[in-house]
Amino acid sequence: MMFFDTILANIGDWLPRMLTSLRTTLVLTVGAFCLAFMLALLLEYLRSRRLRAARLAARLYIALARGVPILVILYLIYFALPGAGMTLSSQLSAVIGLALVYAAYLAEVFRAGLDAVPAGQREAALSSGLTPIQTFRLILLPQAVRHTIAPLVINLVSLLKDSSIAALIAVPELTLVSREIMSESFLPLQVFTLTAVLYFLLAWPASLVARAIEQRLRYPSARTSSSKSLNQLKEAQASA
Amino acid sequence: MDNVFLERIVAALLAGVGVTVEVTVGAMAVAVVIGLGLATVDFLAKARIVHALIRIYVEALRNIPSLTFLFLLYFGLAAVGIRLSSMVAAVLGLGLIGGAVAVDIFRSGLHSVPAGQKEAAASIGLTPFAAFRLIVLPQGLRLSLPSLGNYAVGLVKDTSLVAAIAAPEVMFSARQLVNETFETGLIYGCTALVYLALTTAVAGSLSFAERKLETP
Repeated sequence: MMFFDTILANIGDWLPRMLTSLRTTLVLTVGAFCLAFMLALLLEYLRSRRLRAARLAARLYIALARGVPILVILYLIYFALPGAGMTLSSQLSAVIGLALVYAAYLAEVFRAGLDAVPAGQREAALSSGLTPIQTFRLILLPQAVRHTIAPLVINLVSLLKDSSIAALIAVPELTLVSREIMSESFLPLQVFTLTAVLYFLLAWPASLVARAIEQRLRYPSARTSSSKSLNQLKEAQASA
Repeated sequence: MDNVFLERIVAALLAGVGVTVEVTVGAMAVAVVIGLGLATVDFLAKARIVHALIRIYVEALRNIPSLTFLFLLYFGLAAVGIRLSSMVAAVLGLGLIGGAVAVDIFRSGLHSVPAGQKEAAASIGLTPFAAFRLIVLPQGLRLSLPSLGNYAVGLVKDTSLVAAIAAPEVMFSARQLVNETFETGLIYGCTALVYLALTTAVAGSLSFAERKLETP
């Protein structure tokens, strides 16, 4: 087929450049994720405080970050901040912008994880004489973690995909470099197919891992809900 | 800072809002049609190959970035002679990706309907398709609504990406105005507010619909 022939004929030229830019994509993704993780912990901490102003500020931040497109936030950081006397490189702008947005998503993940631990656990721990910090560390956290791992991986995957938006502020990551290769070669279909395949090869295994974790870590009570297991039994029989 | 300039920003952004709403509604419609159609097929079909094909579509489109996919559609198809306008490419691109998301949403909605409902429908003599249409589907749709709302909010934000293929929506108008006036901070700040208003409106109306449809 013509299509694959063209890809094969050019792969020696394209792939090295794409892989180099892929490194930028990965640095962007991992950097933003780590920063977002720390920010999210801070947000969650603020939200759990008794102080009303702190709680309000955290909630306002999360609402803002979730309601505005990442592209707008990247533009604000990259193009508008210099007007206020602060010039950041495009890479740094991208990492900070992505982290600011994903902090809000991850904060929601942490909250959902903590909320999923039944209230009785906390009450029981406190009444058995554990201090609040011990309760959190020994009882709540270990149970909350199992609810957060899968959503964290899913967020990592969508952060990887969203890192492509950094192309629009000229960060030389995979999507931007593919566009450059496209304008040199005039073979957009082949170039972007290869790009899509590269993204897919990174994102898909991670999505599968997330799904596997989700199924593994489900609480026993949820796993054996009677109607569901009856269905699974039937499906197993049907497919056998 | 004068009023004429502010009026200009508002006019440019409002012109963009129209296009953003068009792209959102169009892509949402495409996504719901694909999602509901494929989820129904997935629910009723027995053949393994059908499930596998749907799975491939979902996994492929859920794991590549929207921007890459839009470039693929807009630039890639033009190269093989299928020239889509930027609006059609935007609606189709976001709609196809949304379809993959919506299949999973509707599928889990349909599967969350207790199995007893389907069994009871079958035992009173409804055909499988009638049981699906009259019993499972209405309940499944209601269960899918919250996730669909989340997706819709995400979609409004994703429409900002179609500025990259020159569809004249909010982000595109904002960028043009910046190129003319260099008032970067003010214009992008207003843009952020416009998107915030749009996403809040979508989220609000969907949670309203959810409350209306809640089972007592």
